[in-house]
Amino acid sequence: MSVWNYVVTAHKPTSVSHSCVGNFTSPNQLNLIIAKCTRIEIHLLTPQGLQPMLDVPIYGRIATIELFRPHNEPQDFLFIATERYKFCVLQWDAEKSELLTRAMGDVSDRIGRPTDNGQIGIIDPDCRLIGLHLYDGLFKVIPFDNKGQLKEAFNIRLEELQVLDIKFLHGCVKPTIVVLYQDNKDARHVKTYEVALKEKDFVEGPWSQNNLDNGAGLLIPVPAPLGGVIIIGEETIVYCNANATFKAIPIKQSIIRAYGRVDPDGSRYLLGDNTGTLHLLVLTHERERVTGLKVEYLGETSIASSISYLDNGVVYIGSRFGDSQLVKLNLQADASGSFVEVLEQYVNLGPIVDFCVVDLDRQGQGQVVTCSGASKDGSLRVVRNGIGINEQASVELQGIKGLWSLKSSFNDPYDMYLVVSFISETRFLAMNMEDELEETEIEGFDAQTQTLFCQNAINDLLIQVTANSVRLVSCTSRELVDQWNAPAGFSVNVASANASQVLLATGGGHLVYLEIRDNKLVEVKHAQLEHEISCLDLNPIGDNPQYSSLAAVGMWTDISVRIFSLPDLELIRKENLGGEIVPRSVLLCTLEGVSYLLCALGDGNLFSFLLNASTGELTDKKKVSLGTQPISLRTFSSKGTSHVFASSDRPTVIYSSNKKLLYSNVNLKEVNHMCPFNTAAFPDSLAIAKEGELSIGTIDDIQKLHIRTIPLKEQARRICHQEQSRTLAFCSFKYNQTSMEESESHYIRLLDHQTFEFLSIYPLDQYECGCSIISCSFADDNNVYYCVGTAYVLPEENEPSKGRILVFAVEDGRLQLIVEKETKGAVYSLNAFNGKLLAAINQKIQLYKWMLREDGTHELQSECGHHGHILALYTQTRGDFIVVGDLMKSISLLVYKHEESAIEERARDYNANWMTAVEMLDDEVYIGAENSYNLFTVRKNSDAATDDERARLEVVGEYHLGEFVNRLRHGSLVMRLPDSEIGQIPTVIFGTINGVIGIIASLPHDQYVFLEKLQSTLVKFIKGVGNLNHEQWRAFHNDKKTAEARNFLDGDLIESFLDLSRSKMEEVSKAMGVSVEELSKRVEELTRLH
Amino acid sequence: MAAEEGSGRGGEKKSSPAPTKPVEAGAAKFLSGMPSRGNFSSGSVSSNLGGFRVYVCEHSTEPPEGQVIQTDSTNILIRHLQLKLKSEAKDAGSRTPGENTRGKRSAARSLDVNNSAKRANLGTSSGSSAHEETISGFSQHTLQSFTVERLRALLRQSGLSTKGKKDELITRLRESQG
Repeated sequence: MSVWNYVVTAHKPTSVSHSCVGNFTSPNQLNLIIAKCTRIEIHLLTPQGLQPMLDVPIYGRIATIELFRPHNEPQDFLFIATERYKFCVLQWDAEKSELLTRAMGDVSDRIGRPTDNGQIGIIDPDCRLIGLHLYDGLFKVIPFDNKGQLKEAFNIRLEELQVLDIKFLHGCVKPTIVVLYQDNKDARHVKTYEVALKEKDFVEGPWSQNNLDNGAGLLIPVPAPLGGVIIIGEETIVYCNANATFKAIPIKQSIIRAYGRVDPDGSRYLLGDNTGTLHLLVLTHERERVTGLKVEYLGETSIASSISYLDNGVVYIGSRFGDSQLVKLNLQADASGSFVEVLEQYVNLGPIVDFCVVDLDRQGQGQVVTCSGASKDGSLRVVRNGIGINEQASVELQGIKGLWSLKSSFNDPYDMYLVVSFISETRFLAMNMEDELEETEIEGFDAQTQTLFCQNAINDLLIQVTANSVRLVSCTSRELVDQWNAPAGFSVNVASANASQVLLATGGGHLVYLEIRDNKLVEVKHAQLEHEISCLDLNPIGDNPQYSSLAAVGMWTDISVRIFSLPDLELIRKENLGGEIVPRSVLLCTLEGVSYLLCALGDGNLFSFLLNASTGELTDKKKVSLGTQPISLRTFSSKGTSHVFASSDRPTVIYSSNKKLLYSNVNLKEVNHMCPFNTAAFPDSLAIAKEGELSIGTIDDIQKLHIRTIPLKEQARRICHQEQSRTLAFCSFKYNQTSMEESESHYIRLLDHQTFEFLSIYPLDQYECGCSIISCSFADDNNVYYCVGTAYVLPEENEPSKGRILVFAVEDGRLQLIVEKETKGAVYSLNAFNGKLLAAINQKIQLYKWMLREDGTHELQSECGHHGHILALYTQTRGDFIVVGDLMKSISLLVYKHEESAIEERARDYNANWMTAVEMLDDEVYIGAENSYNLFTVRKNSDAATDDERARLEVVGEYHLGEFVNRLRHGSLVMRLPDSEIGQIPTVIFGTINGVIGIIASLPHDQYVFLEKLQSTLVKFIKGVGNLNHEQWRAFHNDKKTAEARNFLDGDLIESFLDLSRSKMEEVSKAMGVSVEELSKRVEELTRLH
Repeated sequence: MAAEEGSGRGGEKKSSPAPTKPVEAGAAKFLSGMPSRGNFSSGSVSSNLGGFRVYVCEHSTEPPEGQVIQTDSTNILIRHLQLKLKSEAKDAGSRTPGENTRGKRSAARSLDVNNSAKRANLGTSSGSSAHEETISGFSQHTLQSFTVERLRALLRQSGLSTKGKKDELITRLRESQG
């Protein structure tokens, strides 16, 4: 790996922090807007459900979003504030489909202590001002003028320093805020202030309320005419208002994290607590006087971080700790007493606390198993790239040369027969009454020879093309209706057909075009080409699904692909492919309404062209490498959308998303032929011919990343994979809440790595929790063990002073404790190291030997150690070198000296970074993630002149990722083609709190330089939404310093080149001096890293 | 409730469904009449309504002129003093031709002048009182927040005794207003 790194998101953030509902995209469209850390999703509410519209990247971590309606505006504006004190106001321009920036700015102050309880951004209900609480003791006001324009912001001193929540009150003559705060005796109160805009000051407000519930944490302003505010505590809910109305009710102890207003008049609210229970809060009132409060249990949801009432009893539950949900509130409780019915779940990987990379098939393609979710929503998620085939049935069959499915009549929705062609015969399989495949006969077909093509045709006919003839057979009688014979001395080499047309090529470059007219095969046209024909296709792409006006032909010798018009067989266009490899399969197809010509070569490369379906014009030529063997292309459909399957040594599904062709590999080793086989028993299935086997299977949803959830109901913290025992082991914990007290219990669990079945469980002691787990083996011992590091977290201790290292063997699917070793602190990290075990225990790095005792048992014997850290949290090793990520002292490099059997410090980074993950990219360069959401790389200075310099790890790269990284690990989500350029690029995977899975790829220097230029060009063409600045966003930033990003590239920005309009692409290409095709090719290659 | 349901199901007679009816389920009576604007009305909510378009911002995102918002960088105290000066200047300017010299007003005004420096420090409520508030406008609450010295000044203005504890001063002031 190198210091030139490319950072790209493979899985976007999924944890939801905010959501709101309003008329954003049009005055009469209702939208749900969801904030997911660095992205905003805009949905449209429709009678059919929630329709996704836009996914908007934001150059900042979103602190608050709010919809508001300025005076005289027909639709809502969106206010976004970011954690780094930028804000913007966005308006949707429906005509141009653009997000306009109405206002933006920087609201940071030079002096000020950032708030502890999160940034607050609120908008006056009468739209007179925006209020921000960003620093303790200051309330920032951005006033609106009477035209709805924003004016210069100003600060007001707020006497309350520990603010928990601020909201605007409704129905006040002057803008009035209500502040929930904690005093220095930890008592909580609310207070109101009027904001005097002219005087730029607060005026003591109409009322206040002292000594609230000690757990009060959330304010809900009640709309006019009721007015006032609801204060949510842990044990009470209180309503108060200016008229000294005071209503309180006790509730079962719970921490309410989110609320959503149901009625516009504010008489019902939904409350979500930290255990995922949904409550209904009812404000009973007589006219404009509140008479009481009532809380009712509704049911269980994911642990909510935001609740938005959508419409018609449907509610969106946004979650940080589990899957977000769309739920319906039913009028009647179900059997378990719940009124909540989950309509839909939106996968959320966050928070990814740990993950491991598992390469089950040993193909170089990893799947990532993450520890996701928290408390009751905890789960393991299996994330893999590519599309899986779930095999339903398979049979051994050698030497399959072709595969087609046929229906019993033209209008039958389901397939009936499977035609399997061999070198000297053709066999027919049919679904019988028991839904089993059995061999059958189609009398009119020639079974004694290889079939070149089969197809259902109009008028309930079947077409079979063999080397000698084309046969037309009736579906009903199964008898031969008509036959076309190849001229004497010629045999058909390749053929293709659709419902009414047949195109075939015989030796000598003869192209013959037949049509089916009145149950007869009519030779319409014949053409003689100068070379032999290698492949052809006439899949209809026009309006008529039974007739194509274009045919594609691939040629030997001049290596070209040609488009002919039908029925006159005129050459419209010829495209030379270059090179020496013959096209082996061509396909005309329409994906997402865009027509393409795909042309696959004998060496696993594939060309794609945009095809003008009426003129036959070919544009936008692109080449990708899918494998190393000849490819054969076939369309199929899944869930009503058509896709292309490319059979080869690396089978691939080609699909379209955002009108862009995407390639997703299929998790099968090698596929020779494929045909769709959609039967009543196996709907949407595929028949797949592999080496010596025919199988039928269903295909996963067509998308890039595939996520499987294994619910745990407890939170997994550390995970690792052991190939030898075919298992995964992880540390997890669970809250036990009895009526009186809460306790945690911690476990080590063992899972089968293929089926994810729970095999074994090992409970840890009371107060003991698992901190690290690895799979390793020791010198002079062939067994592989799981080693677990633990800590005793005693309530009275600040730092654990006791822990254990447990060594387990897996025997018959059970965890067998072999050795146990007590330590003087928490074992934060474990590593296999030169046949020994390296442990990071509080501030110490300790090396243990694996010793055989006289009685044949083993023990861990301490060999040497190294002090000098605050808390050594993360360690990675390579050879004799150890990299340590410290709690607050950045990265240091240690070396183990065999002769002296000692660990010494070699060098360190002297910055004070609070680390969250480290990994060694190679012998020289190490990468770290720190808690201000930055990534940085350091390099060992082994060639430096002085000892002083050698003892320093030089910071060589810095980048603001904007995500809290919990783990960095070597690995790849995609299959690596050994011969492609991309296959040589080493990658590291990272997982973050918001559920992002990303890739860091180390690029060769020339590629880095090229892409850096592309990035700086793209910044000029792709603007930040809300005029937020890309350079500022990616600049390394923490409390101590801000430095421009260097030696890191923003892959998300670079890859958005492919989403640009053609004209913008051309402008970029002009600025770069590189053709659009070349640029697209290079960027597309990068997209195949993830 | 769940237990009851369980026993109901386990039990053999179906004749007493009445008590387990949703009447018992507390939230049911509050869940009727959910606001609806016609969305999610089709019987089955479909999960497959297409995918997201990733927004690529090709257009200019410059905000309209004057809408790049900065924070007023003047120190809060200085700003306060400046505002005070300005409003007093305005007060003075508007008052002379107005010839509305009711005793209370002029009293309040001279009071302002007397105390302007002090009130800047108070930071609360004084801003609005600077140009229109009379003594009678002060609420109990506001008076509470005043210093004793200021209360004394107010009493002096009204020609009342300035002796006693703060509470007494406030009571005296309020009585005089009442």
